Amino acid sequence: MRPVSLKDIYFTLLVAFMLYLLPWAGFGLMLRPDFVLLVLLYWLLRAPQLCNVGTAWTLGILVDLASGSLFGQYGLTYALTAFVALTYQRRLVLFNDWQQAGYVLLLLLLTQITLLILKLFSGGDLSGWNYFLPSISGVLLWQVVVYSRIRVTGNKDH
Amino acid sequence: MPTLQNHAPPAFFNRGPSSFTRLVFFAALSIALMAVDARLHYLVEVRQGFATLLQPLEVIAHSPAMAYDQTRDFITRQSLLAGENQQLHQQRLKLSADLQRFRTLQLENEHLRNLLGAAQSSPQPAKLAEIIHSGRDPFSHKVIVSLGSQQGIIAGQAAMDESGVIGQVTQVYPFSSEVTLITDKDLAIPIQVERNGLRAIVFGHGRDGSIDLPYLPMNVDIREGDRLVTSGIDGIYPSGLAVAKVTRIERNQDSPFARIICTPTAGIGSHRQVLLLTMVNVPATPAESRKMIPVRSRHAPRQP
Repeated sequence: MRPVSLKDIYFTLLVAFMLYLLPWAGFGLMLRPDFVLLVLLYWLLRAPQLCNVGTAWTLGILVDLASGSLFGQYGLTYALTAFVALTYQRRLVLFNDWQQAGYVLLLLLLTQITLLILKLFSGGDLSGWNYFLPSISGVLLWQVVVYSRIRVTGNKDH
Repeated sequence: MPTLQNHAPPAFFNRGPSSFTRLVFFAALSIALMAVDARLHYLVEVRQGFATLLQPLEVIAHSPAMAYDQTRDFITRQSLLAGENQQLHQQRLKLSADLQRFRTLQLENEHLRNLLGAAQSSPQPAKLAEIIHSGRDPFSHKVIVSLGSQQGIIAGQAAMDESGVIGQVTQVYPFSSEVTLITDKDLAIPIQVERNGLRAIVFGHGRDGSIDLPYLPMNVDIREGDRLVTSGIDGIYPSGLAVAKVTRIERNQDSPFARIICTPTAGIGSHRQVLLLTMVNVPATPAESRKMIPVRSRHAPRQP
């Protein structure tokens, strides 16, 4: 497998950010997975020597700016998720595809719950179970990518 | 049992500070930013500057959808256009009849106002803006429109379509601005019941597309089907714009207040264009009152 360069990481993150900026509306907006976070998690798990909590925070701040939400909200959330992802990153080699997907789902849910808590603190409102739909669609997207033979751990022999 | 504590990595694996140190640093930074943004409103300029930098990216991201729209507009069938044209003609005829009557009434009104010595109600010029996208957060009722501070838009302006009030401009960027819709739970509008002139304040419901009329007593004189119009006492919305129609009233014995549910008159979420009305009297510091513009105080409105 080709070694990962920083250029790959920045390019894919830019593409994810552009996907986020697309004019989503209606049901698509409800289902829209967090593209930036998914790509970020992929690189955190695949190439932890090239990106770290700081990368996650910077991206979070960019998302904050694009979404017009409270400044620092996504920064804090992404940094926390990145930390948890990196803490258990080395055990990931032992997991099979479905266990990896479960792990990613947990990380996505953690992100959304942290965001929800921050939103509640800043005067938001609970908005029903639909709120967690992006996590589900996100992990489905992850599985699709995994089945297209781009493995997180990089070993091709299974 | 051998302990795994104090198991520092060898020097050649060391890559800067540990994840935990980084997390603590960035978490502290984010919390500081959030506090500054929420309480002190110092970051408006920073946000606007970055919004300008993001502008080209947004233009690129929106270009596929815009190209699609343009192609669809281009290949619209001729019969469809002819039908629409005819319909618009008829509508224009009807409206011009109304307009003539309106001119007479306006003259008469002016005359009567002169007689009464009352202040002239000044006309409010409006700007036509296009909705670019419907916000990034699916659970806040906001849309982003195509005019910004470069076109003279300021926070607090009212937004409406041809049938009624849509919402209010809450945040302004150089080339776009954010309109909070009347269905958002943070937006309140002073209204008047058209039938009997009763004054009250409506709040968006937040979860669905309805509007609440809270804190009115059980015996309040409101019926299903009543039209609610802006009262104009806030200096933001001109008086007499349609806001909503009462659709359901629940008089529950458990609560001292009647539960009144209304549906907005304007086509929330069904239009591409909105009108942004210029304010008659501008609040003192529009830039600083970003969080204050959607009235959040939920005090019971005074009865007339």
